[in-house]
Amino acid sequence: MLRLIAARGGRLLARPPGAALTPVCSRAASHGEGEASTAVDMSRPLYWNRLDTPLPDRPFKDVLNEEDTALKQKEKGPWGQLTKEEKIAIYRLAFQRTYPEMKQSTGEWKTVVGGIFIFMGLTGLVVIWQSYYVYPPQPRTFAEDWQARQLQRMLDMRVNPIEGFSAKWDYEKGQWK
Amino acid sequence: MAHPSQLGFQDAASPVMEELLHFHDHALMIVFLISTLVLYIIVAMVSTKLTNKYILDSQEIEIIWTVLPAVILILIALPSLRILYLMDEINDPHLTIKAMGHQWYWSYEYTDYEDLGFDSYMIPTQDLAPGQFRLLEADHRMVVPVESPIRILISAEDVLHSWAVPALGIKMDAVPGRLNQTAFITSRPGVFYGQCSEICGANHSFMPIVVEAVPLEHFESWSSLMLEDASL
Repeated sequence: MLRLIAARGGRLLARPPGAALTPVCSRAASHGEGEASTAVDMSRPLYWNRLDTPLPDRPFKDVLNEEDTALKQKEKGPWGQLTKEEKIAIYRLAFQRTYPEMKQSTGEWKTVVGGIFIFMGLTGLVVIWQSYYVYPPQPRTFAEDWQARQLQRMLDMRVNPIEGFSAKWDYEKGQWK
Repeated sequence: MAHPSQLGFQDAASPVMEELLHFHDHALMIVFLISTLVLYIIVAMVSTKLTNKYILDSQEIEIIWTVLPAVILILIALPSLRILYLMDEINDPHLTIKAMGHQWYWSYEYTDYEDLGFDSYMIPTQDLAPGQFRLLEADHRMVVPVESPIRILISAEDVLHSWAVPALGIKMDAVPGRLNQTAFITSRPGVFYGQCSEICGANHSFMPIVVEAVPLEHFESWSSLMLEDASL
């Protein structure tokens, strides 16, 4: 029995060292990027896809197979002799994504806005619950007739008569301006 | 007093408060201008199609955004200092009143001519007459003659309080063992409410200040009446 539990525990503990990075990777995957990524070594030149810094520190494909090496050799010659597919292949060796691919919208905003609305809705439910079950009874000064008398008293006292409250009441006609 | 869902200041009842209102309009306009500019720049930065965003050197804009804020600060400081000195001008008061803060009520002493002193407690909610203002009404108001310079000496008998009347533009801490002086002139008759503005215990929210500005004859008859009541 103990051996079984120990075996289970062992399996749980034997996670890959890059596990801490998986949240970012899984978020990227769920929004349509879907590439496997590994832990990043920041002491070596990096590759990146960024609109505002167009030229990364290294080409996308560092390690070239025979076919790629041959292509790179051909690139050293006149470019007019390269076919369209070869030019595209050379581009893809240096860069992972084109500008239109980088500018593609991810739809992440829908998740964010949806999450905001969900939490606002939950908050609303909490507010309604608490206004029914938690709040004490309102003071008697909030009753309608009290508020009406209070309003009349404020007008009689000329509260804020210059630009504020009483300034908006027409005393001759007995109505709001 | 404030009216429901009020956003701005109460109408001024003293010349100093009028100055403060105008200064606030001036400073707030500057704030709106700066905020609009910053918001525009943020939106422009976020929505730009340009890719070269990292210019590292430009002397002209650096000069502008150093000098312009300094100029703006001067434009705010000069009116502010003007009002500050205005508030401290010699004003030759007609009347001196002492306002003493206690836990949890104010007491007012008019001792220029006779010995008049009384306490001012909040009227509890259950004792209000219909139409009175909850948490603002007091049983005795501090009555002053309208359009007369009044000196008010503020102190406290136990803990810190603060005597504040927004319509008059006054707030002054009531410090035990210290006498703070301020002055005001009410430019129009009326009733002006304020609340204790320094935390002073359980009923800090329940010790309001009510100032009533009346013509001089009414003030004289009020003070005679209060003296009679006191002597009874």
